[in-house]
Amino acid sequence: MRIRVAIVLVAWIALATFPQWSSAWESSRYVAGIIRQVLIFAIFASSLNLLVGYAGLPSLGHAAFFGGGAYAAAIVAQRLGTDELLVSMGAAIAGAALLALLVGYFAVRAVGIFFLMLTLALAQMVFALAFQATDLTGGSNGFSGVHRPALFGLDLSAANDLYLLVSVASLLVGLLVWRVTTSTYGRALVGVRENERRMRALGYDTRTLKLSAFVLAGALAGIAGALSAYEFRFVSPNDVALGTSVTGFVMVLIGGAGSLLGPILGAAVVLLIERVLPSELPAQTVLGIVFIVFVVFARQGIVGALRRVARA
Amino acid sequence: MTVEDALQQALNGLSFGALLFILAAGLSLIFGMMDVVNLAHGAFYMLGAYVALSVTRATGSFWAALVVAPLVLAAVGLVVEPLLLRRLRGRHLDQVLITIGLALVIADFIRLRDDWGWGATVRALPFPAGLDASIDLAGSAYPTYRLFVVAFGAALALLLYVLHRRTSVGALVRAGVDDAEMLSALGVDTDRLFTLTFATGAGLAGLAGVVAAPVFGLQPGMDVDALIYSLIVVVVGGLGSLSGAVAGSAVVGPADTFGKVLFPQFALALIFAIMALVLLFRPTGLLGRVRIGR
Amino acid sequence: MIEIRDLRRDFGGIRALAGVDLRIASGERRAVIGPNGAGKTTLFNVLTGELRATGGAIVLGGTDLGPLTTWQRARLGLARMYQRNELFGPLTARDNVLLSIGSLRGAYRPFRSPGAAELEDADAALEQVGLIDRASVPARALSHGERRQLELALALAGRPRALLLDEPTAGMSPAETERIGSLIAGLDRSLTVLIVEHDMDVVFRLADRITVLHEGRAIADGTPDEIRGDRQVHDVYLGKAVEA
Repeated sequence: MRIRVAIVLVAWIALATFPQWSSAWESSRYVAGIIRQVLIFAIFASSLNLLVGYAGLPSLGHAAFFGGGAYAAAIVAQRLGTDELLVSMGAAIAGAALLALLVGYFAVRAVGIFFLMLTLALAQMVFALAFQATDLTGGSNGFSGVHRPALFGLDLSAANDLYLLVSVASLLVGLLVWRVTTSTYGRALVGVRENERRMRALGYDTRTLKLSAFVLAGALAGIAGALSAYEFRFVSPNDVALGTSVTGFVMVLIGGAGSLLGPILGAAVVLLIERVLPSELPAQTVLGIVFIVFVVFARQGIVGALRRVARA
Repeated sequence: MTVEDALQQALNGLSFGALLFILAAGLSLIFGMMDVVNLAHGAFYMLGAYVALSVTRATGSFWAALVVAPLVLAAVGLVVEPLLLRRLRGRHLDQVLITIGLALVIADFIRLRDDWGWGATVRALPFPAGLDASIDLAGSAYPTYRLFVVAFGAALALLLYVLHRRTSVGALVRAGVDDAEMLSALGVDTDRLFTLTFATGAGLAGLAGVVAAPVFGLQPGMDVDALIYSLIVVVVGGLGSLSGAVAGSAVVGPADTFGKVLFPQFALALIFAIMALVLLFRPTGLLGRVRIGR
Repeated sequence: MIEIRDLRRDFGGIRALAGVDLRIASGERRAVIGPNGAGKTTLFNVLTGELRATGGAIVLGGTDLGPLTTWQRARLGLARMYQRNELFGPLTARDNVLLSIGSLRGAYRPFRSPGAAELEDADAALEQVGLIDRASVPARALSHGERRQLELALALAGRPRALLLDEPTAGMSPAETERIGSLIAGLDRSLTVLIVEHDMDVVFRLADRITVLHEGRAIADGTPDEIRGDRQVHDVYLGKAVEA
């Protein structure tokens, strides 16, 4: 256990200082940008993994909280005229959590495939809202001119500062997810996934448990959303669209649902396909095919496949 | 709103409802038989519309497209089901995931086919000759095409009803919806039945795409819109049955139309509110047999 | 301890429970027997709240269970051992039992892993049912008899007041039946036990009183000797069992 923690910490330090030790490399800035995006989506995928991989709730509407958090961060920062990180990030978390509470209240009344359908439909409602509330969100043009944050006055708009912020955020979220999934609460979520009927017979209020997981996952997705707003200085309805929800789902599955490392690997794979693949090759098609291949042949994702190899 | 306006909107609601029925029927059928929510349904709808575009351009005939497009989609279904879905029998959630991947591939395929006259640009499909005018109804002009849609939807509903209730194929489908395992134990080739059902569902989605295209046009994102609407219709009306598809589209069609006219900002919210209410108070949907929640 | 008054449950036209009356004293071991279709499993499902009663009342330790959900009844101390195992397949036996214990101590502890006391309690529960050597084995890898033992451990680990045992010896070999039987016989008298069973040896060995269900109603209620001698019961049920 100690060794694992040490490895993770060392790896993280190497990752967090990448812009510094790679500065001589000419692609350094470009790669750092990619890594930032991978980390942002790793947070998004990890939050979704809490639902899909641990609680067994296949949500296809998670982008609502990602984009919701992004919009909240951008709008509050503009309306209050502040760049303070704690304010905009706080707004993102609160907004995403509240939205998740509203959506989740209805969604947890359904199970399995019906839950999936419901989250999909409810998230589309959020999408429609983002589109129509032009005064608030900028409508189809999106919300541009998002300021990068400042922490207690310390400006974080430089690429490397943002890189550090994203690295720290992903470490904190990663630690949180790790603690939660190994706790009794995390075990209870797994119990709900494996046999909800039994859990109820054991005295667990499973509906509230599921709702709490939904809200927690939503809040974490909101963090990723805020970071995305800072990164691209732009929020659009695309951030709450079905495509983003599907991308998250694909990341979780390809990486390995129900594992800690899976979402991170999945985010890396998907983003590499989307960003690094030459523009002639159709990224979404490749992604769709890769996804299908994984569902059929490697349902437990990369992590699952690695585990199988390790056991053989 | 004047009486004429109300009548106009009522007819609009009816024609939209008819369209929704054609779309949702396929989804409901596939689910009822295979327990799979085909999330590629919107993509099938979209593909149907684009195929119709090409066929109409090539032959000049909308009616040719009306026949060819559903057949093309049925062919797609005939290939996809044995290739991808059959090997995951019993793993319903995974089958749904496969349909997600399929939807991604199809939508991207269409988006990239600029060379076929498809691509990401907004396209239009002209009304068929003979149905491109308006007729005088209760004092105001009403597009004949929309009346055609209503008639077509009704005719299709009738046809499906007859097939479902009065033919031996229909009996097989009904039995399969009820208990596919039992049917298999009785010696029926359920694999082939599933494939045919999926193909039919896909064909119906394609048909909806053709019928809708002159009214709604063709653009990226139409697959998602269609998917959402068809999901809402089956949740409201009841998953797994044709009557559910009828009930759902009869509610959602007019509700959406009137909603858009009366309070355009909240039209979508109205539809979702209906769905949420149905889910809370009648989890099987208005006429459904499958419990969505608990 | 458990009072069931005129309990009814209809399924469409079928009256699965047609007015059942039962009074079980605290610490009593009550067996419910009856031919298939008599309503025994339905009775359990209505007791735990997994099915809603169509009429009648259930009172547990003075509390009316009517408006309560399954999990609320469980929290009041009503535990169930299912006829068909309801375990957490991929989890180890120990993790299975930990879930049962976790319910007692609260599910919302997102930063605490199971503590030493909980692990001890889990092992104690496994010890009690004789599964301690298989604690680290995934539930789905256990033998049928071991799974029944785990099923019982799950019910017991929650320190219930009332225990519903749904055919505890179902599918067991004579040796396994003997072991489960001793286990149940050895349970503390602070626990009220209601058993549905088909194995008459087990019933006569364990029960203080027996209730016979037939077509959704209790047709006889008494000590094992009284039931043995009851003519009506004989005709309806025991006769068949003896001849079979």
